[in-house]
Amino acid sequence: MDNRRGAVWFGAMGTSARVVESKGLKADALGFVSSVVIGVASTAPGYSLAAVLTLVVAAVGVQAPAVLILAFLPMLFIAASYYYMNRADPDCGTTFSWVTRAMGPWTGWIAGWAIIVADVIVMANLAQIAGLYGFLLVGWQSAADSTLAVTLVGVVWIVVMTAICVYGIELSARTQVGLLGAEVLTLALFAVVALIKVYTGDALAGSIHPDIGWFSPFAIDSLNGLTTGLLVAVFIYWGWDSTVTVNEETKDSGTTPGRAAVVSTFILVGIYVVVAAAAVAFAGAEAIAKDDSGDALGLLGKEVLGTPWDKLVIIAVLTSAAASTQTTILPTARTSLSMARAGAMPASLGHIHPRFLTPHVSTLLMGGFSIVWYVGLTLVSENILFDSIAALGLMIAFYYGLTGFACTWYYRHELVKSVKGFVYVGVAPTLGGLILTYVLVKSCIDLSKPANSESGSSWFGVGPPLIIGVGMMLFGVVLMFIWYSQGHRDFFRRRLEVADPGSLDAPPPMPAPSAGVA
Amino acid sequence: MARPLVVGYDGTPGAQAAAAEAVALASELGAEVIFAFAYWTNPQGGEVTDMLAALRELGEGHLREAQAAAESAGVTAHGELVHEAPSVGLVDIADRHDARMIVVGSYGEPPLKGALVGSTAHKLVHLSERPVLVVRAR
Repeated sequence: MDNRRGAVWFGAMGTSARVVESKGLKADALGFVSSVVIGVASTAPGYSLAAVLTLVVAAVGVQAPAVLILAFLPMLFIAASYYYMNRADPDCGTTFSWVTRAMGPWTGWIAGWAIIVADVIVMANLAQIAGLYGFLLVGWQSAADSTLAVTLVGVVWIVVMTAICVYGIELSARTQVGLLGAEVLTLALFAVVALIKVYTGDALAGSIHPDIGWFSPFAIDSLNGLTTGLLVAVFIYWGWDSTVTVNEETKDSGTTPGRAAVVSTFILVGIYVVVAAAAVAFAGAEAIAKDDSGDALGLLGKEVLGTPWDKLVIIAVLTSAAASTQTTILPTARTSLSMARAGAMPASLGHIHPRFLTPHVSTLLMGGFSIVWYVGLTLVSENILFDSIAALGLMIAFYYGLTGFACTWYYRHELVKSVKGFVYVGVAPTLGGLILTYVLVKSCIDLSKPANSESGSSWFGVGPPLIIGVGMMLFGVVLMFIWYSQGHRDFFRRRLEVADPGSLDAPPPMPAPSAGVA
Repeated sequence: MARPLVVGYDGTPGAQAAAAEAVALASELGAEVIFAFAYWTNPQGGEVTDMLAALRELGEGHLREAQAAAESAGVTAHGELVHEAPSVGLVDIADRHDARMIVVGSYGEPPLKGALVGSTAHKLVHLSERPVLVVRAR
């Protein structure tokens, strides 16, 4: 058989054709457990705790659990706006397009930029954690202490993860459930054993018994500590919103709306609060706050579980970091793809790999930026890498807050039509937006003081995290104007849109490919 | 009329080889050819709408091209997009149309690389209860 014949035929462009769309049997049957797993895995509890435990405890001491509970409130409110903006129009999928529709192209562009910057920053942090915990896993302490070795492994991590995203390699749902289950169980085991040791007197010297006041936000005496803690804590819930959007695809989403989101929420808040409380009780707030190794959770794991069981904690952090890398690269590449399709960024970013069907140009570019950022920051100062988490919080607070306001504004004509509408698309998103705006502004003021940064150093008399955060946003504004001045005016001419009357009460729209089989 | 042949078609050289073989076969059997483009994207990390739209556009382009080529060879054909992982999606479409067989391309890759980047042909031969014809790209 001569296959070359085919190559000649199929090179010719078609004229008229009948293409039908059919929805797969399984695409709309994303199970309840899968939805919960997606929500929890997207937020990556193990990695998040490893990254922020020290920072939160340093900010508020024993009230760390309270801040973790409090930080969830704005996220819950913003989740309402994700849910309803997602419902408003099945064809608009991202914060970038929502904000563009509701508040205009300029604001929308900046919102998209904030997502990209946040993702690039978190990749550096993720790579750092992966490198560090990788060495801890094999018990190579001298390598874990070496900046060069950790950075090297971190860069390899980013390269491998980027390649995985380009190739579109996916774990099966069952493997994911298994991995996440192991992660959650490990963290629970850590918390339970730590608490038992606290009460049997086998904990560390600074150990204290948990107190109900740890869980009360009102017991936090420092407002600076509270906002810094909130900013960092916002980061650990980052990614949770994907449960809400994914939930729409779930089977029976009409009869059991948001059940998966609620369950994954309880799991997440539960893990964070219990593990933070157990860690503080076991080692004392002072010891955790003063940790400068960058791997407080790993070290505590060793003390709590003893060898070799401490490896479980390290494995949990590493699997979680792997999941988080994926849920970082994927949405970034999708945001830049959305922006490219809208004409807000170069069209090449919207290219899809013919064989792997992934946005490979976007993905590779983000991987490249992450490496440059990671290596660059490490060269300047390793402390700045930790500072960048605070800067990351600024980005997340900015675009989550904007999404909240965009939701209320988009639905502004629907607000007074029903109590439900008023609460879910009016009060909740706006309140979420206001809280995040407050955290953003207050943190900017706090972070401007060099003393509040990890490194204690000052750039131009201002704390590094603020320079990183504001600097990257201003850089985005410059890029936006360059793009505009290069003649790409169409995107910036887009008109504002408002929700269709009655769209709030309408049943959720089906995802786009809903045409039947011909 | 003979039962249709389902061809996994994504415009790559392997798929072109598969399509050529299937059209030749269909022409002899007097069967219809259904070109299928399966697309799927990880729901993790949310924000899939634009990505899916881009994939659908890509798929529609490929399917139109394949259909036109088949029709110019005198074979009845149509294209179908399916929102599912490629191997599962092809099996679904084949089941719906009670297809005679599924035809897919292979890339002639070393087995390890094929396993790493996920060979649809490999998964398909294990999943499908219908015969699977694998045509290697030249």
